[in-house]
Parts: sequence; C-alpha cells; structure tokens
Amino acid sequence: MTAKFDRRSVLKLGGGMLAASALLPHQAFAQQTAINYWHTFTSQSEAAGLQAVLDLFKAAHPDVAVTPENIPNPEFMAKITAAVVGGSRPNVTMVSSERFEDLLAMGALSDMTDRIAGWERRGDFDDKRFASITKDGKTYGVPGFTFVDWGYYRKDWFDEAGLAAPTTYDEFRDAAIKLTDASKGRFGFGLRGGPGGQNFVVNVIEAFGSPVKKEDGTIGLDRDIVVKALDWYAGLLVKDKAVPPSAANDGFQQVISGFQTGQTAMIWHHTGSYQDIASKLKPGVEFGTFAMPAGPATRVARLAYAYNCITNDENADAAWEWIKFWGEPDAAVAFLEKTGYMPASTVAAQDQRIVGNPMYKAAADTLGFGIPQPSFPGAAGWAQNTVLPALQQILIGQATPDQAADQIIEGLAAAIA
Amino acid sequence: MSRGRAMAALPPPRSTWDAINPLRLLGELSETRYWMYLLLLPSALLITAIVLFPTVYGFQLSFTEMRLNRPAGNGAFVGLKHYQRMLADPIFWLSLRNTAVWVTFSILIEFVVGLVAALALNRNLWGGKVLAVLILVPYFLPNVVAGNMWALMLDSRVGVINDILVNIGLLQEYKAWFADPNTAMATAIFVEAWHSFPFFTLLIMAGLKGIPTDLYKAADIDGAGAFAQLRLITLPMLRTIIAAAVILRVIGLVNSPDLLLILTQGGPGRSTQVLSLYAFQNAYSDFNFGYAGALSVVMFVLLMLFAWAYIRLSKVNQD
Amino acid sequence: MATLSIKGVRKSFGAVEVLNNIDIEVEDGGFLVLLGPSGCGKSTLLAIIAGLEPSSGGDILIGDKNVNDVHPKDRNIAMVFQSYALYPTMPVRRNIGFGLEMRKVDAKEREAAVQRAAELLQIEHLLDRKPGQLSGGQRQRVAMGRAIVRNPDLFLFDEPLSNLDAKLRVEMRTEIKRLHDRLGTTTVYVTHDQVEALTLGTKVAVMKGGVIQQLADPETIYDRPANMFVAGFIGSPTMNFLTGMLEHGDGGLVLRHAAGSLALVGLEQDVAAFVGREVVAGIRPETLNAGQGAAGLQGIVDVVEPTGPDTMVIVSVGGQLLTARLGPKVRPKPGDTLNLSVDTAAINLFDPVTGNRI
Repeated sequence: MTAKFDRRSVLKLGGGMLAASALLPHQAFAQQTAINYWHTFTSQSEAAGLQAVLDLFKAAHPDVAVTPENIPNPEFMAKITAAVVGGSRPNVTMVSSERFEDLLAMGALSDMTDRIAGWERRGDFDDKRFASITKDGKTYGVPGFTFVDWGYYRKDWFDEAGLAAPTTYDEFRDAAIKLTDASKGRFGFGLRGGPGGQNFVVNVIEAFGSPVKKEDGTIGLDRDIVVKALDWYAGLLVKDKAVPPSAANDGFQQVISGFQTGQTAMIWHHTGSYQDIASKLKPGVEFGTFAMPAGPATRVARLAYAYNCITNDENADAAWEWIKFWGEPDAAVAFLEKTGYMPASTVAAQDQRIVGNPMYKAAADTLGFGIPQPSFPGAAGWAQNTVLPALQQILIGQATPDQAADQIIEGLAAAIA
Repeated sequence: MSRGRAMAALPPPRSTWDAINPLRLLGELSETRYWMYLLLLPSALLITAIVLFPTVYGFQLSFTEMRLNRPAGNGAFVGLKHYQRMLADPIFWLSLRNTAVWVTFSILIEFVVGLVAALALNRNLWGGKVLAVLILVPYFLPNVVAGNMWALMLDSRVGVINDILVNIGLLQEYKAWFADPNTAMATAIFVEAWHSFPFFTLLIMAGLKGIPTDLYKAADIDGAGAFAQLRLITLPMLRTIIAAAVILRVIGLVNSPDLLLILTQGGPGRSTQVLSLYAFQNAYSDFNFGYAGALSVVMFVLLMLFAWAYIRLSKVNQD
Repeated sequence: MATLSIKGVRKSFGAVEVLNNIDIEVEDGGFLVLLGPSGCGKSTLLAIIAGLEPSSGGDILIGDKNVNDVHPKDRNIAMVFQSYALYPTMPVRRNIGFGLEMRKVDAKEREAAVQRAAELLQIEHLLDRKPGQLSGGQRQRVAMGRAIVRNPDLFLFDEPLSNLDAKLRVEMRTEIKRLHDRLGTTTVYVTHDQVEALTLGTKVAVMKGGVIQQLADPETIYDRPANMFVAGFIGSPTMNFLTGMLEHGDGGLVLRHAAGSLALVGLEQDVAAFVGREVVAGIRPETLNAGQGAAGLQGIVDVVEPTGPDTMVIVSVGGQLLTARLGPKVRPKPGDTLNLSVDTAAINLFDPVTGNRI
C-alpha cells in the first residue's frame, strides 16, 4: 500500500512539472495575430498568384500575419486528417468542392453561416457559388476562386487543317483523329489517364447520360451508358490512336508539357493553367481556348470552387479577415492575372480586365452553363481509387469497357454502402 | 541508502505525521524490491506511449468500424469483418503479389549493387573518398525529390533517359515507362534501387572494415581467388550486417508507399499497386480506417514472419 | 623443401625507406629468425617473401626459382599469422584443408592429410568445431595445422606466439621447435622476442630501421654481438656497458674506469688501435661473480632482486650501474660494498662513437 501511494505521488509530481514546463514559453505580447493557411497550390503561376494576394492583404491588414503552408495534393487528405485527429488544425484551409463532404463528415470545418450572412460583400456572390460548401442550411466556407473546366487547342494546327474549335464530342473526336500524325509524333488529344484524370472520366459518363447523383439524391450508374462512355473515351487511345501512348501515366505535369511542347493538339483542364500555357505558346495565335464540348446526352463542364474555410476556432476573427479578402475585386483580379483562375465573385468577374479579353470568353460562357461535381461522402475516393484504375486498365489493354464498367459500378456501390 | 536503513531500524512511528511523512516512506520504499520498478517506470511509460499504444490501437482498429466520412456506427466492434472482406478482395491479393515482386527485386538489386559499390570503395583507390560521398547522395535525397527527378528523367516527352536510349540505338522511340504495365513495375524498382542501394553500401562498408585483412592474406596464400574469397570469407563475415540491412530495407519497402505514390500511384491499372499504397488509399482517400488498419495488421504479421524466417535461415544467431 | 635467397631487397613507402638492401641466404631446412623491435621492417620483409606485398627492388628466390612475380598461392609457402587468421565461419577441418580444397585436391586425399596434420598437433578432437569455440592455444595449433598440411617449401611465421599467455607461449615454442626438427621445412620466423629467436633459430637476423644489424647463428649473436644495439637487444637482463679508457697496464691491457681499473685478461679482440682511447666494455650479467678474482670490480650495492634461481644485484661502479646475475644464496644488502670477479674473456669492446664492436 505504501508503495502504491508513493508511486502515485511521484507521478503527480512529474505531471505537475510537465504542465508547468508547457506553460512557460507562452508569448507575453501578441500585437499581431498569426494564422496559418493550408493550400495545395503547386505550379509557379499559382505560387505567384498567392503571393500577390498575400502582399495586398499585408498592406490592408498589418495586424494579421498569414503563414502559407503548401500541402502537396496527393498528401493533402492524409495531412488534414492527421491534423484534425491530432488536434493541430490549421486556421484556414483551402478546400476544393470534391473534398467538402469528407472533411465535413470528419468534423474538420466550422460553421460560418452567421459570419457570411453579415458580410458586406455577400451580395457580390451568386447563391450558387455557396452550394457545394453548404449542407443542411449551414455554410462552411467562402469561395476564393473558381475552377472553370475548359480546353486548350492548337489554333495554328486547327487553322492549317481548316478546323474550328470543337463544340460536341463528335467534332472533338474528329479533330483529334485528323490532327494525329504519328510520323511527326503529334497526337490529337492529351488524355489525362494518370493522377487527377478521374474527374474527366466521370464527366464523360455523365455527358453520355448517366449522372452519378440523380436529382432525387439517389446514387447509381446506368451500366450500358458507362460502357459506351468508356468505349468512346478510352477508344480515343486504343482505337483511334489519337492519344499519346503514355496516357495511362500522364498527370497534370505531363499533360501540360505535352501541349506546351507540341505533342498534343488539345487538352482538357481548367483555367488555372492558362498562364502556364501562355508562357510557352502565343495566345490567340498558337493556341486558343474552348468550352467543354457537349456530349451525346448533355454538356458537362465543371465549375468547382476553392473554398477557404475556418478549420480552427482559435483566432477565427483573423482567419475570417483573410477569407473575406479573397472576395475583394483587386485581390481576385490580381490572382487571375498571375494564374488564370476566375474570380468567384460575380462583381469581380465583371471586371473589364476579364470580360474585355477574348481568351477568357470560353470561361465566361462556361460560368453560365457549368455544373458542380457530383458530391457525396466517398465520391473522391471512389473516383481516385476505382474509376481511374478502371480507365487505366482499358488504356493498357488489361480490361474491356464492360469489365471496367463493372468495376466502376461495384466500386460505387461499395463506396456509398 | 544508509539513511534508509537507519530509519527502518527506528521504533514504530509515534505520531500520525510519521505515518504519512513522504520522505520517510520514500526512504523505506527505496529498500524494497518495488524501488527497481519505480525507477523503470518513466521509460516503461515512454515505451508504452510511443510504441505499445499505437500498435495495440492499430490492432484494435482492424476489428472496428471506422470510416471518418461516415460518423454513424463508428467505433463499433465488427469482429473479423475486415479480414473476411480482405480474403475476397481481388485488389488485396493483387497488391500482395505486387508487394512480393516489388520487395524481392528491389532488395536483390540494391544488395548486389550496394555490395559491388562497397567492395570497390573499400579498395582505397585514388579518389575513393570523394566517390564514397557521391555514391551516398541518392540515399540522402528525400523520396519526393528522387521520385520527381526520375519521373522527369523518364518522361516520354522530355526525359533525358529516353533521349540517351534513342541516341545510342537501344530504343526506336521515346517510351512511356510508367504507362506500360510491362515496364512500370520494373522501372519503379529501378528507381527504388537507385535510391536505396547506398544504404547497403554504407552498412557493408562498415562491415568490411571489421573483417581482419589477415584473412584475405591467408586466403591468398591458400590459393583462394577473388570470387572464392568473396563467397567464403567476405559474405559469411558480413552475414549479420547483411541480415540487418535486408530486414530493415524490407520493412522500409513494405511499409512505405511514398515513392510509388509519386511515380505511379499504383497505376497503370493497378499494375504497381502494393499493400502499403492500398492501405494508404483506404485510409486517406476512402477514409476507411478500419479496413486500412486490417491491411496494416496483415503487413505487420507478414513482416514479423519474414524477419523470423530470415533470421532462422540465415543462421545469424549461430556462433 | 628449398633454400631461400633474399637478394638486395628494398622497400620504401614514398620517401620512407622501410627495408634497405636486405641480403639473407637460408639453407635448406634452416630456421631463420627475423628479430627486432616493432617498426624495424621484419614483418614487411616477411610479407615480401610471402608475396603479399611487392618489394621496391631486389629478388626473392625460393629454391632456384625467382618468385618476384609469382602469386602467393603459387610460391608453395604456408604462413601462420599473429592473429591466426582462421576462417571464422568454417569448422577446423575445413580451415586446415582449405589450401588443399582450393588446389582441387580430391576429398579423400584431403581428409587424410588433415587427419595426419591433426594427429601431429593433437587436435583431432577439435576438427568439427568452429574457431570461435577454441582457446588461444588451440587456435594456434589449428593455424599451424593449416600451414603444415600442404607440405610447403617454406613456412612463414609472423609473431605467432605473441597473442598467447606466458605459459602457453613457452609450450608452443617448444612445439614449433619439435615440429621443425621433425619436418625439417625451411622456416622464416618473425618475432620481437629474443628468447624465441635464440631458442628456435639456426640463423638470426637482428634488424633495426630497415637494416640488418647482424646476421649470424644464435651463439654468435649472443656472445659476439656486432654492435651495441644487438648487444643491448639480446639477453635478459640486458648486457652491461662499462665506459672507460683502454690503457696498457702491468700485465696487459686494462680498462680504466671511474672507480678503478679492470685487467682485460684473455681478450679475443684486436684492439691495438684503440689503446689510449675511450671504449665501452660489454659485460653479460652472468659473467660477473661474487668474490675476488684475477680481474675484478668493486661497487656499492644499489638494488637486490631475487628471482628464484638467480639473484640480480645492481651495483654502482663509480656511478655506472651494472647488473650481476649471482647465485640464489647470495643476498647482499643495499649499501654494502661488493667485490665482483669478471670473466674477461667474454667481454666485448665497442667503439663508443660508432657503437660497433671493435
């Protein structure tokens, strides 16, 4: 008994000392509020855009110090999960729409409904902009900028061949086949079959007529349509040979550099890569932009938003200042000019610097008919871990569209089970 | 100590204070056998906190429903559900097979290249010190850097490796190494081997320093050639170090998905899907920590079995 | 079996001369001991003989064959190392037979040879053990077994006994001598232990700084050392040096030292040229005896060291300390005056300038 008593008191003593030492290095003075900002910007132009916004913010808000922290996209979910579970949450986190449901479900996001309602610039934003960060009447973030899906095409090659920018899948496929010239090492379409390519597969499936999430909220796919869609999309490589053979491993870098170096005549991406392309090819002369073509059933072009969300209750007021700042037209246009990302604010999108530029017309049009990515818990994992490998298996000849469709449908059932 | 004895020799305590006087009790305690355990307590706590707890938690997780994006039902005990699912999961079996290929060939190449490099560097040739540092450079590169560097060098459009191979006539045209299921795994293994062979070089070089040079002189006189010396002296003398290096490297290869995450993400079409990557994807993009936990437990058990079998077979424990 | 000729062998590492023009002839069946302090070049010379290190010049001949460019394995030699250099992962049997195995001798013949060697060295019971399970003496025997099994032209020993304790060292020394008597193989033996050198060698080369100081049979080395280095290196306790003037006395030459003079009766050396000059007399401790004699010294006892069979008495003679090896019963006390008779026929006179024997 005595031994037990003593052991406990020793432990208590040790615990007390630990607690004391933890309290010691407390900041005595804190005039400036420090917050950190987790983002997934990768390219140089994105980094330049972020820096431009940071500089403007620093001038406007000397009392808030923002430390940006780059989290590479592939590690993002692992890092944020660990931060949430481990209690080392960042103050503000950039959340793309497809990650909203997962992050909300794990309790990473704070309810921002009241702050947003009282915001003087709330009126600048269309209500739709908040749709993919709102659930059950509560809003969890403010769109910082917009990902607008579109395509880039080699205007010089198209002109030479007497072709116009495609508006339908048929036109798109014809152009891809016509512009393919294996002897020159030239391919019609830079298909993204590597990391990040999953969303385009979903787009094509929906454009063929099988939405993943129906209007009544049910989730499911029509097998026949999926087969047709896969046959068409992967067929661009396996049948039409209009796609570089490296497609199954081509991610963002590879697809962009393929277009920049003159290997491919068309690629699909979003406006965020505009400055990267324009740094190598002459806008309006060597390349042009086009809105995503219409599929047999419907036209699918995604509008996705990078939301800035409060992910830590500490210093939430300072975090809110930083989040609001992205809605300032000056900040939004400065960011656009460095990157090509469209502003989320309707007011900012009306800026002459945008509407006056013909290269942005396709994006401005898409803002009208674009639709958000299907969103439900498990969607991102399903697209990445089931849809993409299934597409790759067709591309490398290890599966037929039928087999791949089965994988995709079974994977979807498992993901929402 | 002597004070403790003196106190123990005192007559029974007279006052209540004496009965609870911590100094006196501490003194008495230091004379008992519990004292030893008390002194061990801090390190035991530390080990429990940083080793035992996560391990046990991982095992527990594998019997639990834990899907971070589906909070309802989380934490419920589900018995062997995840393990049953695993048995019927073709991706698990594919990953297991790929893991075996990935680990076996990576280790083989790393060991052979590492050994050759260590033997060459051990000759103290001119410039050997500079070379020894250069040869270690790959190992000091973070996986992310090494992976991206090679991804670029092997690129099917701008990759310098393709350029060289085409120029010397080994290839007709640029090849997309990671887009072809026949070359993706082999290429990934090559990059992995390039990155980690210095680990073997480093350990083997340390081991070589410990082999008495007299043995080689004796073998010279006995008529053993270079190969016989390698087979009969060097390798047996390095047995323990090689075993340690192999086990450490196998653990690293089985557990760490980062290089493949950068090079292929398991593609194309799962042809480089390995267990660690599968567990990683289950945890961090499907948020199914229960199933990911079960996969980790399987990896853990396989590694334990491997280490046990390897140590037995390589007879490291003998003499 | 063969003769060994070392002709003008040199070795230098850059500017450092390690061996300087070494010439040695060893007769068939001879036992050459290379003796000297560490760093004298004796092990380097052995390595050159073995072919483990290249020389910078000169020739090595085993028999009539110049082996300068012959690989160690083709020199038909066997070597025993200070560390024994047993292959730790092989059992004793394979260790001993390894040289035969490498020479593709068939298993039966090999086994028989190993068995013979093991019997000779009384290690048959150890054949299946690993070196790690053997004592130092046993390892030494295995190392010797490995050497003799091949029946080589030449045995090379590199300080084979220095890792053993004193008792085993004596035992193994005898064993090596017995083995050599029995096998009659030409042997080169490196040591820094002068007792080993004198007991084993038919010929001893005393080396210092890469130069042979004296090459002779053990008796000559001991009785007539070529210089003060050899004189001081050989013998325990070491030879006494008494400095004095060489003069003509009443009955012949005398050595006039600080505390008197010593008649040099029966001196074998021709020292005429040194009369009237300073010389050093080398006197072995055992040539000093208690009591008065024809020639004698008188000194004051400094220290008395009984060792059992002998009593070592250190005496101050006019300030120079001499050691006398006296009988076990002699027990003078420090401070006593002691008379010593000297066997002057055994004295060697050295030139103090060159250190060489006159």
